[in-house]
Amino acid sequence: MKKELGSFVIGDSTKCTGCKACEMACFTVHNQGSNHVGKTVGTVTVPVVPRLFLTKFEYGCMPIQCKHCENAPCLNACTKGAISRIDNQVIVDPEKCIGCKDCMQACPFGAVTLLPYAKDGKVVAQIGSNETRVFASKCDLCKDVPGGPACVRACPHEALRLVDPEAEREEKNIKAAEALLLTKNWR
Amino acid sequence: MSMGIPEVEDAGCLLCFGYNGADSHPIVARRIVRGRQKGMKIICVDPRVTETARISDIHLQLKGGSNLALVNAMAHVIWEEGLTDDRFIQEHTKGYDEFLKVIEKYTPEYAEPITHIPADMIRQAARMYATTKPAMILYGMGVCQFSQAVDVVKGLANLALMTGNFGGPSMGIGPVRGQNNVQGACDMGALPNSYPGYQNVTVPEIREKFEKAWGVPLSDKVGCPITHVPHRILHEKDEKKRIHAYYIFGEDPAQSDPDLAEVREALDKCDFVVMQDIYMNKTGLYADVILPATAWGENEGVYTCADRGFQRFRKLIEPEGDLKPDWQIIAEISTAMGYPMNYKNTEEIWNEMIDLCPSFAGATYEKLEKYNGVQWPCRDKSMEDKGTPYLHKGGNFATADKKALFYGTDWHPPLEMENDEYPMSLSTVREVGHYSVRTMTGNCRMLRSLEDEPGWVQMNPDDCKRLNLEKGELVKILSKRGYCITRCLPTERVKPGATYMTYQWWIGACNELTLANLDPISNTPEYKYCACRVEKIEDQEWAERHVKELYDDIRVQMGIDTGKGAAS
Repeated sequence: MKKELGSFVIGDSTKCTGCKACEMACFTVHNQGSNHVGKTVGTVTVPVVPRLFLTKFEYGCMPIQCKHCENAPCLNACTKGAISRIDNQVIVDPEKCIGCKDCMQACPFGAVTLLPYAKDGKVVAQIGSNETRVFASKCDLCKDVPGGPACVRACPHEALRLVDPEAEREEKNIKAAEALLLTKNWR
Repeated sequence: MSMGIPEVEDAGCLLCFGYNGADSHPIVARRIVRGRQKGMKIICVDPRVTETARISDIHLQLKGGSNLALVNAMAHVIWEEGLTDDRFIQEHTKGYDEFLKVIEKYTPEYAEPITHIPADMIRQAARMYATTKPAMILYGMGVCQFSQAVDVVKGLANLALMTGNFGGPSMGIGPVRGQNNVQGACDMGALPNSYPGYQNVTVPEIREKFEKAWGVPLSDKVGCPITHVPHRILHEKDEKKRIHAYYIFGEDPAQSDPDLAEVREALDKCDFVVMQDIYMNKTGLYADVILPATAWGENEGVYTCADRGFQRFRKLIEPEGDLKPDWQIIAEISTAMGYPMNYKNTEEIWNEMIDLCPSFAGATYEKLEKYNGVQWPCRDKSMEDKGTPYLHKGGNFATADKKALFYGTDWHPPLEMENDEYPMSLSTVREVGHYSVRTMTGNCRMLRSLEDEPGWVQMNPDDCKRLNLEKGELVKILSKRGYCITRCLPTERVKPGATYMTYQWWIGACNELTLANLDPISNTPEYKYCACRVEKIEDQEWAERHVKELYDDIRVQMGIDTGKGAAS
């Protein structure tokens, strides 16, 4: 059965040390296929562009990525139909993206950015100019990657996790119910 | 380290002093995070808000260069409030009364104006450290890279001794080392005063043992520390003491040593410089001979971890091109110089070494394989001796009478304080994506994407506002000794008046600015404190072009193909 609400990855600031292993893992898995990024140095020929952002400020440090909103502002903002909901995940089609930045503006989490588009190990140029083509880049929950989100698996501190909001709500319901059962009024 | 790294997460209290695990050792940082999850109390002493500071119970954001004043004040509180472990002091230590005379005046109120930490906060921290067992101290370069470094290390040891925090797991003091395998280099006698296994060159019986084993007469004089080399090349009057040849391997003094202008002059004036490394680096530009060596993964051997753990590392791939592992190059150079070395593999070298070092004698390759590593001391070759996870068991210290010695000294400020011309302070720090002088990581595109030339100077937003600087803007940063160009990074994590730079960048090379003021015992330079000034560059377009030209110039000089962009 299809899940009601989409999942997303979330970071835990109390565990994150800012090592950026998530960013590296994210770039690697998204470029292993068509861009030929391998497991050793010397295989990267395209710009290194992760889809989540290690965010550091005075009192915090954690990666920020797409929440796969149910009423996704980015999807609503895109006039080119480049963003769609596939299997409850908000996905960008880089071929359709024109780099207008509307989704960037719309996203309240800053989870979208425009990054160079690369295919077959090379940066794609724009038609009629040498300028690099860009596309709206954001977390796709590693939809084609066996084992699920690479960032979650790469984190040495277990500071990232994949949230299933419905399941977590049910879990909290049970805990709340258990707590209520223990109160004196019920005995 | 007196403890093992896996023990970190089981400490009751961690005093994390001048140590930023998240940037320098993510794997140790992981233990700190886990400890926190298990309820470990954390006291973080750091002038910056580090990741450890963020998750700490108490963050003592001290003024740079005030370490010993704070340590002595903490000792004062522990003594004054009767939080000492008197039985431990009585049975296992010496010199306590003399030590008390030194710390008597270091009331928290006395330390407050020096450290910029409220007296009550010092009291709270001292109480937390003294009353939570077991308490562990980890310290890093924020202690060691000051001209008053060894005194602070002893000061931290005093805290552990006063509170009986030695001799068991998850306690004691732990220097988390500044470089990979620096512990191994010291273990193997790459120090001016010792043979492998910390056996002093000035002790006649030791010297005779090595003379007999190696079949050559050996000097009874202590050698020259690396930080004295520029002086010994440039200014040594005694012709017999002047250095004429300099053989450098796995080190890039023209990037990593303080006051780079002086280092360059020394390398230039030195008659003969040999560089042995895996990639071209700045020192290589001054070398007469370059010996290409294999990198990690292309060779095998043993590293020592910061917690005295010997670990085998293995060859993964065959090296390409005309290059050899370091041990083969050394053996061939030695043979050519008239002392034949005919080792067939690293195990032969290792076996010779452990047989000459009583505290390593039991750490055979067989045990390193079987137990995935052995922490020295490991004295017996039988498989039962698995090494020593923590030192000083039962309060028995490695001294003649097995007692530890208290050692109190007074605080003194760093040599070069802020002044009218150079009103800010500069400290060199690390960042997670790049290791040491970037000889390895600067050649990896993945890591270059994390941070790249010309690097950043971290500054408080108020200072940036005052100087009209924005994030990413190129700025000039100057000291009495030189200047470099780097990018401005405003961050609330640093205090006004202080600046921080990482030392690996070729362009934003902060060691152009640093000062060769050495600790009198360790000879480590005061990388963590000198006076500087930040200047705005009005013409940013010119600055961007200039930085690119400088970078391309260096790459051309180093023979790196600049046409294709990627070096890797």
